[in-house]
Amino acid sequence: MLEVERLCSFYGRAQVLHDVGFGLASGSVAVLLGRNGAGKSTVLKSLIGLVPPRSGRIRFERAEIAGLPPHRIARAGIGYVPEERRVFAELTVAENLEAGRRPPRPGLAPWTAARLFALFPALGELRRRPAGRMSGGEQQMLAIARTLMGNPRLVLLDEPGEGLAPLVLRQIEASVRALRAEGVSLLIAEQGPAFARAVADQVLVMEKGAIVWSGTHAALEADAPARQRYLMP
Amino acid sequence: MHGFLFLQLLTGLASAAQLFLLAAGLTVIFGVTRVVNFAHGSLYMLGAYLGYSLITRAPPTPVGFALGALATAGLVAALGAGLEIALLRRLYRAPDLFQLLATFAVALMAEDLTQRLWGAEDLALPRPGFLAGALRIGAARFPLYDLVLIGLGPAVYLALLALFRTTRWGVLVRAATADRDMLACLGVDQRWLFTAVFALGAGLAGLGGALGLPDTTATLQMGFSSVTDAFVVVVVGGLGSLSGAALASLLIGLLQAFGIALVPRSTLVLVFVVMAATLVLRPHGLLGSASAEAAGAGAPALVRPATPALRALALVTLAAAVALPFLAGPFLLSVATEALIALLFAASLHLMMGPGGMASFGHAAWFGLGAYGAALAALALRAPLPLALVMGLLLAGAVAALFGLVVVRLAGVYLAMLTLAFAQIVWAGAMQFEEISGGDNGLLGVWPPRWLGGPVGFYFLALALCAGGALVLRRALHAPFGYALRGARDAPQRAAAIGLDVTRLRWAAFTLAGAAAGLAGALFAYAKGSVFPTYLGLGRSVDALLMVLLGGVGTMSGPFVGALVYTGLYDALLLATDAWRLVLGAAIIALVLLFPDGLAGAAARRMRA
Repeated sequence: MLEVERLCSFYGRAQVLHDVGFGLASGSVAVLLGRNGAGKSTVLKSLIGLVPPRSGRIRFERAEIAGLPPHRIARAGIGYVPEERRVFAELTVAENLEAGRRPPRPGLAPWTAARLFALFPALGELRRRPAGRMSGGEQQMLAIARTLMGNPRLVLLDEPGEGLAPLVLRQIEASVRALRAEGVSLLIAEQGPAFARAVADQVLVMEKGAIVWSGTHAALEADAPARQRYLMP
Repeated sequence: MHGFLFLQLLTGLASAAQLFLLAAGLTVIFGVTRVVNFAHGSLYMLGAYLGYSLITRAPPTPVGFALGALATAGLVAALGAGLEIALLRRLYRAPDLFQLLATFAVALMAEDLTQRLWGAEDLALPRPGFLAGALRIGAARFPLYDLVLIGLGPAVYLALLALFRTTRWGVLVRAATADRDMLACLGVDQRWLFTAVFALGAGLAGLGGALGLPDTTATLQMGFSSVTDAFVVVVVGGLGSLSGAALASLLIGLLQAFGIALVPRSTLVLVFVVMAATLVLRPHGLLGSASAEAAGAGAPALVRPATPALRALALVTLAAAVALPFLAGPFLLSVATEALIALLFAASLHLMMGPGGMASFGHAAWFGLGAYGAALAALALRAPLPLALVMGLLLAGAVAALFGLVVVRLAGVYLAMLTLAFAQIVWAGAMQFEEISGGDNGLLGVWPPRWLGGPVGFYFLALALCAGGALVLRRALHAPFGYALRGARDAPQRAAAIGLDVTRLRWAAFTLAGAAAGLAGALFAYAKGSVFPTYLGLGRSVDALLMVLLGGVGTMSGPFVGALVYTGLYDALLLATDAWRLVLGAAIIALVLLFPDGLAGAAARRMRA
């Protein structure tokens, strides 16, 4: 469903991504690994259009989306949950979900506030709470729920587990498994707490703005030199 | 006595309602788009003129009046939408205050076009019977129509509140206010959201203009006078806060009603004293939040020493300036003298705005104080010219040093508005304390002494002081002081962490800029032979802003280029056409769209490429 070819992105004059290429099959989960500053977040931002790529191709469900503004990419069916969560602090939980609501997509059971409160029970009890007055874990759940209200076919998750307590982490992990069961594809950038790589169909390792290793989680576990070279601090 | 209090209360409430209708649109627009819309007063003015045309054609009944006012609101909303699509949409990512420049140009053009369409006469709505009714309170009469206004203000406030709180559109607008990029990532096309918000704000201004007609007349000046009032309300209430604007309207409306009745001399100053006091106590307005600042524009351009080519160009320009008196006639010489003074004035504002990061809407205060200081020294103390110039510089510098203690603690639009408030207070003082300042008649007969050698001698004096002064300011920016100042602007906390006293650096820059502007003003007093309160006026502050922004805030040669181009353009237009506002406005818009980093910035980019 997603094919990325020779993607190059820049911050001003500095090139951050060098010929990044990978593919993602419908309904599958891929994880981006790599050290701090390897370019994982920039890949996600380039896909959603926040950092428009300077060159390269991004094909999503057979349509070229590179260079489109973020709202067009989101409408095409890609959801983005940023690392900083970026919930609308002055809006309540219910209003945050309303801001993310988009029309249903054929072939997908549409997400509603009720279904999301079932997925994240903690949110259901905070419906009228302004998002700015919630804990980091609650905000992370809200950020994911808000994105799901747009009924995306592909969700980009940037460091979903960062800075979360183990209990919250397990809830996020459960939601990732639930999404996968729904047939939603996921591309997850992960550096801190490791949970996503265990459920991933495909692991992509980045270094210095390029993909340097790809394969299954089991293959990465077996490849000690690669882990030593690309992932050890 | 009770009757008097009651009457003032009603009067205050009516003017509060009127102020709220004027300011609500501005705060809504700023809250979402972060655009400081200088053309808001012009939309209000258009509301008054369009309202006049529509209401006088409608049947003279309450229904006819209401429909006329609503149709006016719709038309002005459509105009606002057009303005957003055609102009502002291209400027959201432009540097700070560029929208201000563009909307100021729109305001200039609107005034000119309005005069062409409706004529220069003030338009007063004939009062049909239903508008002429009045309530008897003791011996006084209170217009019934104002009672309607008192009801309409809260009604509009509640309707807006409901719109923002309960509708999906309102949720999206509030989300866009907080984080427009994130909202775009959720699939919302924020461009149309912004257009709609702009149309809503413009429509409110139009409605306010039309509803104000029975109480006031439609005049060409109301565009610029009302935009100041609107800004005061919005800033006192807190930028982007609707409830804040309502509260501030109430506060200012009531204070004005009682203030004028109790202290008639307070009329001009009162509003600005309220604003200054509010900002000193609450730097983000009554109900504003710290996040509601004008959007920053990424990393500012690096500042490098002048290239050899630029140095050569500067030398050639200087040589031409020295040769000018031998080539040019008296008119061109006087234009050149004024351009030199403008150069120092612009360079002083640039020091504050560019490297200092403090945009000022009231820089004319220092210019005017310098002019009054020099004129008073020359006239009252019989001081010779050099001493009078020094007195002008010292007066402006000393007052800037005092006022700076308060102002440099603020940031962004709030800081700009506090400087505006101060300039308006000084202006009102100059208008009202006639014993010292001569009031509206000004101070006359401030001429350079004969030993200076007439206009040519004065030109050389201005050349030496202005070019020298501007170079001193420029030198200061390449000194450690300049590095520290820019560090404090870009990362105040990091600057503080390495031991820089951020507040004191900003204060020093503010004082230095004030003193330099004072010297420019003192020279201007001698160049014109007189001093008037307009030297302190908003118009002159805006001139300085335009010069700096035209030249480019991010460049060192910006103020030089901006001052020369702006004075040249202005004087040439004033001579060539009576449509100077229209042409100047169009020229500014063209420059803003074509050279988003200013003229000097564009030149620098071209040289690098």
